[in-house]
Amino acid sequence: MTSPALSNELSRADQWFGFRLTVPAAVILIALLALPTGLTILYSLHDVPANGASLGPFVGFENFSIVLSSPVFWRSATVTLLFSVGFVTLSTAIGLAMAILLNQKFIGRGLARALLIIPWATPWLVIGILWKWFADGSVGGLNAVLIALGITSDYHDFLADPNTALPVTILAAVWRQASFAGILLLAGLQTLPDELGEAAALDGAGVWQRFLHITLPWLRPALATVAVLNVIYAFLQFDVIFAMTQGGPGDATQVLSLLIYRQLFAVTQIGLGSALAVILGLVALVGGLITVKLLYRGHVQ
Amino acid sequence: MMKTRKADGSLQGRMDRRTFLKASGATALAAMTPGLMAGRAEAAAYAGTLDMLAWDFQPDTIKKLVAEWTAQGNPAVNVAVIPNLGYSSALQTRLRGGDKIDLYYNFAYNSQKFIDQGWASKLNGLPGVDDMLGEMFESARGRHVNAAGDVISVPYFSAVHMLHYNKDMLAKANIAAVPSTLKEIYDASKALKDGGIVASPYVAYWVKEFCEEYLHTYLLNEGITAFDESGKPVFADDPKTVGVFEWWQAMYQEGLAPKSVLNDDPGKLSSEMAQGNAAFFVLHHYFLTSIRSLKGPQSDNVFQSAIGGKNFTLQIGEVLQMGAAADADRKAATWDLMKHYGWKDKAGKFTVFNQWAKAAGLAAPYPGFFTDPDVIAAFPTYYDLPLISKTFETGSKVVPARTLPWYPDFQAKVGDIIHPLLLGQATPQKTVQDLTDAAAAASGGTKRL
Repeated sequence: MTSPALSNELSRADQWFGFRLTVPAAVILIALLALPTGLTILYSLHDVPANGASLGPFVGFENFSIVLSSPVFWRSATVTLLFSVGFVTLSTAIGLAMAILLNQKFIGRGLARALLIIPWATPWLVIGILWKWFADGSVGGLNAVLIALGITSDYHDFLADPNTALPVTILAAVWRQASFAGILLLAGLQTLPDELGEAAALDGAGVWQRFLHITLPWLRPALATVAVLNVIYAFLQFDVIFAMTQGGPGDATQVLSLLIYRQLFAVTQIGLGSALAVILGLVALVGGLITVKLLYRGHVQ
Repeated sequence: MMKTRKADGSLQGRMDRRTFLKASGATALAAMTPGLMAGRAEAAAYAGTLDMLAWDFQPDTIKKLVAEWTAQGNPAVNVAVIPNLGYSSALQTRLRGGDKIDLYYNFAYNSQKFIDQGWASKLNGLPGVDDMLGEMFESARGRHVNAAGDVISVPYFSAVHMLHYNKDMLAKANIAAVPSTLKEIYDASKALKDGGIVASPYVAYWVKEFCEEYLHTYLLNEGITAFDESGKPVFADDPKTVGVFEWWQAMYQEGLAPKSVLNDDPGKLSSEMAQGNAAFFVLHHYFLTSIRSLKGPQSDNVFQSAIGGKNFTLQIGEVLQMGAAADADRKAATWDLMKHYGWKDKAGKFTVFNQWAKAAGLAAPYPGFFTDPDVIAAFPTYYDLPLISKTFETGSKVVPARTLPWYPDFQAKVGDIIHPLLLGQATPQKTVQDLTDAAAAASGGTKRL
């Protein structure tokens, strides 16, 4: 039997060991995350010159005031919200559907599961370039598919139409993200004991009831992870939209991340761009927290 | 000076015979050929490597041209090439991060800003700079010399906005004369569309980032001055300005330009002309090379004509700037390369421009360029060089305001204002007002999104 003094010493030793193990990761996180975040907040409070040679004069919340009173910001925020809702909903739903399908036994399941990784392995920028050609109004495959299905009768320039440009960029982003969601949710489904479903079926529960009362609750932790990640990806999405439309036509697809890029790197208004980045970061953080709270509300073990 | 003997027995503080002869020879050569040769001795004095940054238009040609300069006994050059799309952002990020780049491509409208931020050096007083400016078209000088008389860049290339047109399609529509004014282009486009010859006759590079060039092209076509000599926006004072935006909106709204022009890149637009899906394409004159070299079914029917009628078209040119070099020898070597790349070689020939002419139809803003037999031989035969030269000389204007330090902020806003006009979300009158406000905010230093 270990004496209290010895167990305290072991505990301290364990704590110190644990601390030392986490130090490398903490240093990296501070260097790559905390420092840039702190600098961005600092820049947002100053009128930073374009060459970044100094912080420039301190202006307090002036940059935030300019941003929050700008109709350009609010239009961009609206576009970002619409994009995010579509992106999160569709990628989660399609990912879940793919996971359920790939959890069934059928010939070629192994190949299908392997193919699931391909969109996820494709860089965002490449996705944007591919979809730009796919949605092209003259030679794009999307038009051909829609005409073959009888949905449209003529070629349409989706990316030049402010009414269709945003939905098409959402589709492009979902095409990649759904595979990621599917992979995570499939992993969650693999841990679901078959006996639960069998027992429910024996008790007369239908497919939909089993899905609602067994599968979904079991997947809640995985769904929470997927949803939070999707929310963050949605708010920070840049590459796909930049490749496809660069925020156009007009400002139809100008999400906040693109606006930040323009302010920081094109117009070099570093203070304003940093203020935008701080606002977007806060929104993404709040969005993620709300998502977690909603998903874990009323959770029953 | 106290002379002491070094370990090897030679005297310190005295030049040896070899070094003296070398310096004398270099000095004599420099004295024989002023302007061009001045600076060559200094280039040889620098033994390191220069760093150059360019965008990705024919990167192998860039490296070849620079290597030819090095092969003449000049310093080695490390040429880095990055995409044209996002070039300004990438360049500014590198410079802000402390990258030391000896010379780099830049967009003319950014050149003064780079001087003001300490990223680029003025070229005042450098050997041969006055001769170089003296040899330029007068219309081109305003791009490289700011209002204070500082020389801020040298030419990389120059071009004029011209109309590329399909000759066969005009003949089919019984259009006798090639349209030149905005109204004539509208009427011709309408005739082509209504006659079923081509669905969307007019294409142009109307992506957001490029709308600013077309703004000036179309205003100049109507004889409208956009900015006065002090840089104040005066286009709103001209009653014809609203008409320009009415035209622009009508071209898009009535389907005379395809909806995709808000997103299409120049490669696709050239392809549309080559394939016969468009009859008119207004952009830099050298795009005729792109259209012809695509060898599409209609490529050989595409020719070039001046636009603007009795008025003007826009002369543009992108530039080379010298980085903020502290070392005198390095600066001298960089200047030597800049003269070679943006003017003439040691022998007084337009070697670099000759090769750009051959490779891509690019032009140089020097009258002598258009009469140089080697250049004439280098240009493909489908170019009307006298027409292009005349357009440079008297048919085009550089907009000097584009090199004002606040201009990049205005340039960035133009596309945001023009796209709503084209999409029918703003009236021509509102567009005039919004552009005026954007120019006033940029020049007044007012921060806004």
